[in-house]
Amino acid sequence: MRAIGSSRALLAACVLVMLFLYLPLFVMVVMSFNAGDSVGLPFTGFSLAWYARLFGNAQIMHAIINSLIVAVGTVAISLPLGVMAAVGLDRYEFPGKAVFRRIVLLPLILPGVITGVSLLNFYIINGVRLSLATIIFGQGTALVCVSLTEVFARLQQLGRSQYEAAQDLGAGESECFFRVILPNISGAVVGAALISASISLDEIAVTYLLTGRQNTLPMVIWSLLRREATPLVNAAGTLMVVATAILVTLGLRLSRSGAEAAE
Amino acid sequence: MLASSRGFPRATFARMSPQMRLKAIWLLPPAAWFVVFLLVPYLITATYSFGHMQSYRYVPGFSLANYARIFTTAPYSGAIAQSAEIGLLTAVFSSILAYPVAMVMAFRVTRAAARSALYLLVILPWWASYLVKAYAWKTILGPHGILNSLLLSLHVVESPITILLYNTASVVLTLTYIFTPFAVLSIYASLERIPASLLEAAEDLGAGGMEIFWRIILPLSVPGLLAGGVITFALGFGDFVAPALLGGADTLMISTIMINLLGVANDRPLASAIGIIIVILAFLLIGVMGWAERRVTVRI
Repeated sequence: MRAIGSSRALLAACVLVMLFLYLPLFVMVVMSFNAGDSVGLPFTGFSLAWYARLFGNAQIMHAIINSLIVAVGTVAISLPLGVMAAVGLDRYEFPGKAVFRRIVLLPLILPGVITGVSLLNFYIINGVRLSLATIIFGQGTALVCVSLTEVFARLQQLGRSQYEAAQDLGAGESECFFRVILPNISGAVVGAALISASISLDEIAVTYLLTGRQNTLPMVIWSLLRREATPLVNAAGTLMVVATAILVTLGLRLSRSGAEAAE
Repeated sequence: MLASSRGFPRATFARMSPQMRLKAIWLLPPAAWFVVFLLVPYLITATYSFGHMQSYRYVPGFSLANYARIFTTAPYSGAIAQSAEIGLLTAVFSSILAYPVAMVMAFRVTRAAARSALYLLVILPWWASYLVKAYAWKTILGPHGILNSLLLSLHVVESPITILLYNTASVVLTLTYIFTPFAVLSIYASLERIPASLLEAAEDLGAGGMEIFWRIILPLSVPGLLAGGVITFALGFGDFVAPALLGGADTLMISTIMINLLGVANDRPLASAIGIIIVILAFLLIGVMGWAERRVTVRI
């Protein structure tokens, strides 16, 4: 239709960049099924041996469970706080509103190491021992901004008429929230939860500084990688990519389907 | 405004109007959480940065010695400069790679289904595990990696070449790879807002594809380029995974130094001072970006 987007050179560049984005992941997925011991070529035959080794590795299995605990805990902290802040920001004016919105975004803009250092100093001063809980509080704080922005955008779309109608009909605040607002923003809420969970499952900077004796999956992979590249990491990496792909696709679809249903 | 006195909940709550009470219920818990788990830790870190360590114990103080050390001693100021350089290269390269994809997404793919499919294709590598992506490049560039195996089997080289890995270039390549999808989304958000009528008018008036690109599309996409550029710069600047996995002896980034200071050296005051400097740099960067955006942005 239009000349601008249809030049061959542009299309070719786009295809090349997409190949650049997918080739490394593709290589890793293929090599995770390699029967041989080497991380690279040659591909000596199809095998699920590395996956068997992965599931037989007690340290990695334990780390996966820890990662899931941290992800669930992180969502349990960041989601309610994010939803509350979003409702508050959507509905009320208060002094320092602009500053509050900036501060919430800080952990996203600043390198994770800085959030990590600050919380580490905070824990040490208060004599808190590092554990999975300290990671959960750190990630939970950093990820409030994800739920906040997702839910806030949805609330702004929604407008206030339904809420005001429910109030006029005599619904109390909690009835209004659970029966009018929540059903309308449920897509954004579930989407935010899934996206936060996938960030948490992959987080390394904050976790690195706040971890005690228990380790999450990225931390175990990190320590494996620092020693040497083993095909075991190909298998673990493939599973992580598949897991995040499912979480994010679902999350995006849910937050969008909510928006479309309302239109 | 916040629960500073212990008698706060009951006494103050009773005096509030119902509207005020609702406002407090929604806003106080998140505000209090952020004060305790974000503001207070940042303030503690700021205080720490003025003290020092003495026989493994923190001694409070008010000295600028840590800051002086960072700006005058070799590894620290050099690492900040190198992190900035790597961040800048990452931002520039990912914007260049991202632009054609964003263009195709905005102007070429017109069917909604195809567009959201392409969107998903771009966003999936962005969400794929960060660590895994850095590792993937290590296996590609390594001495037994795919690239060397290929070159060996094609007899281009006789023995594996080692210059591919463990240098600043491999760090920039990996970070560019990781952040390109983000740059695509940011640029696309700008391109999407350009009205079709504007481009059609330009075409009708006889402008060629290149002229339309340089005089309409590129100027109008500056906000997206800037926003994406600043975030990819910040993420590249603060990274420590890529330099640890793919960097060489000469790749020294500031986050790596901070982590070493917290681990082996156990010098939390110095690490805190570096942290505070980065926070100040981040605010400066955001300010500069706001200024640049106001200067360069063309209103439709």
